[in-house]
Amino acid sequence: MTEVLSAPSGGGTHGGALLEVEDLHVEFRTRAGVAKAVNGVTYRVDAGETLAVLGESGSGKSVTAQTIMGILDMPPGKVTGGQIRFRGVDLLKMPDDQRRKIRGEGISMVFQDALSALNPVFPVGWQIAEMFRMHRGTSRSEAKKKAVELMDRVRIPAARDRANDYPHQFSGGMRQRIMIAMAIALDPEILIADEPTTALDVTVQAQIMGLLAELQRDSNMGLILITHDLGVVADVADKIAVMYGGRIVEEAPVHDLYRRPAHPYSKGLLESIPRVDLKGHELYAIKGMPPNLLDMPSGCAFHPRCPYRRDNCVTDVPALYPIDGARGSACHYWREVLDGDSR
Amino acid sequence: MGRYTIRRLLQLIPVLLGTTFLINFMVWQLPGDPFAGRCGQRPCPESYITMMREQFGLDQPMLVQYWNFLKNMLTGDLGVDFKQVSVASQLADAWPITIRLAILAVTIEACIGITAGVLSGLKRGGFLDNSVTISTLFLLSLPTFVTGYLLQWLLGMRFGVIKPTVSDGAPMAELIVPAIVLASLNMAFTARLTRTSIVENRRADYVRTAIAKGLTNRRVVSVHLLRNSLIPAITFIGTEVGSMMSGAIITEGIFNIHGVGGLLWRAILGQDYTIVVPIASLLVLVYLLTNLIVDLLYGVLDPRIRYE
Repeated sequence: MTEVLSAPSGGGTHGGALLEVEDLHVEFRTRAGVAKAVNGVTYRVDAGETLAVLGESGSGKSVTAQTIMGILDMPPGKVTGGQIRFRGVDLLKMPDDQRRKIRGEGISMVFQDALSALNPVFPVGWQIAEMFRMHRGTSRSEAKKKAVELMDRVRIPAARDRANDYPHQFSGGMRQRIMIAMAIALDPEILIADEPTTALDVTVQAQIMGLLAELQRDSNMGLILITHDLGVVADVADKIAVMYGGRIVEEAPVHDLYRRPAHPYSKGLLESIPRVDLKGHELYAIKGMPPNLLDMPSGCAFHPRCPYRRDNCVTDVPALYPIDGARGSACHYWREVLDGDSR
Repeated sequence: MGRYTIRRLLQLIPVLLGTTFLINFMVWQLPGDPFAGRCGQRPCPESYITMMREQFGLDQPMLVQYWNFLKNMLTGDLGVDFKQVSVASQLADAWPITIRLAILAVTIEACIGITAGVLSGLKRGGFLDNSVTISTLFLLSLPTFVTGYLLQWLLGMRFGVIKPTVSDGAPMAELIVPAIVLASLNMAFTARLTRTSIVENRRADYVRTAIAKGLTNRRVVSVHLLRNSLIPAITFIGTEVGSMMSGAIITEGIFNIHGVGGLLWRAILGQDYTIVVPIASLLVLVYLLTNLIVDLLYGVLDPRIRYE
């Protein structure tokens, strides 16, 4: 995979970006065969930057994130190649104990379903305070105080009283705020939010996205926002990486991608968003099914569903072709996609 | 929770009335005259039988007998048995022994069962897991009296490590092997229950969160995973305390322990219903109370269960 995005401005002394994923390969060895979940993903995130990773279920977006965090179930999962450099150091080669300390302190994660991701038998304040107690050795009472401050910061009403409540006593949005409070407790440099709003209603979704954006601005975190919902990312993200079949198929600054997608898959995704001005028309849907990870299509993984398909798509895997220096598309015919209005 | 407890305690009343009535009805209505065989080789004289029937109120209608039973139980008057020995004093001798045996058995069951379950659940498919699966299957398929006689013969007679029968005072040390016998079935079940719930919860989202928080492996397992996984095991062990007391009948019989089980066992064989009925009723009460305690404990262990 070629790197196409311009070199980041910040990034400290090591020269690279804060977090760099390079040519990452992850597979799952199951009884049915080897599922290639991630096939050469490369992306980078810098301090203060928001990268949205977009893709349908099975595209490898969550597996990539779990590999960065080091919480992938191994076995059946296995990293078969690539590097994940955090502050210039490859996490995959790091001893377990050192890597554990980075979790929560350096890189932190917010999960999709806060109800199941929070421990049901401990009060929420206790669960947030655990971050301070275990990483910093803070005393019980001091950690509790900090937990309440964090709950205030993510705007949970009556935080002091509610710190002793259990996860099931909160609404979905409030639970997600608690997850976020826990994730940002130790001021991590990178926050990974894995579909943080998927389980919430639309109005609450907007609030949570707003909160994430605000927290990111305040602390200059790098934010990786994993989602399958194009609508969620438009206002928040700086750049988007679209994943399909375990690869990045298009990478672009967010507005460029919205205005002129350069990959048939991103184009299809954009066209399948309901639009008020097209009311009454049939909603576009990408034809066919997501690829079977156990038996990936030859050539370009998207070719069975692609309206731009030619013969060489079936045989040749497209590289991520650089476009205008700042973006890239893994499509042999990206020019046509970029220019053409028809599909 | 207070209101819930009171409501549950009030619910005990009809249940107790129903069960004690059934116990009385069934025991006293059994065929065979309890007094017929009490005079050695000869049939008992008519005058003796009439006298006994009058003393124990057997000449009165069933409902009157039951009313008298209730009255006596509520005033704490357990009366005498057919040999004119105080039932209360026999019970007072037997209870401490049975309670000692049950506490020992529950401790063994909880310690070994939970430890085995946790270890095998954490290393699923490993050597330890397979040995636990096989040995629990073995224990589960052996009835208590087989385990009991086997250990008694093996340890008591063959190797002489223990006394084959427990002496009158039933000191703790002598109760260990009987307690293992009494605990064996539940221990195997506890191990399996714990293993299943560990295996299930290991992949739970909140465990993944705990790892993502950067906690040590030890803390993830001993705090986040264990706390959730032990709920079913603890409630099972609690529920079984009641049946363990009555289950002690076989074990106490084999090792000649003079506890409640042994007393009940001899009373049933001797058709002495004056002992069978109060003991059976007390066991019902113990069972109901331990169940109530377990239900309340469940609410404490799992905050999602709330009693309004």
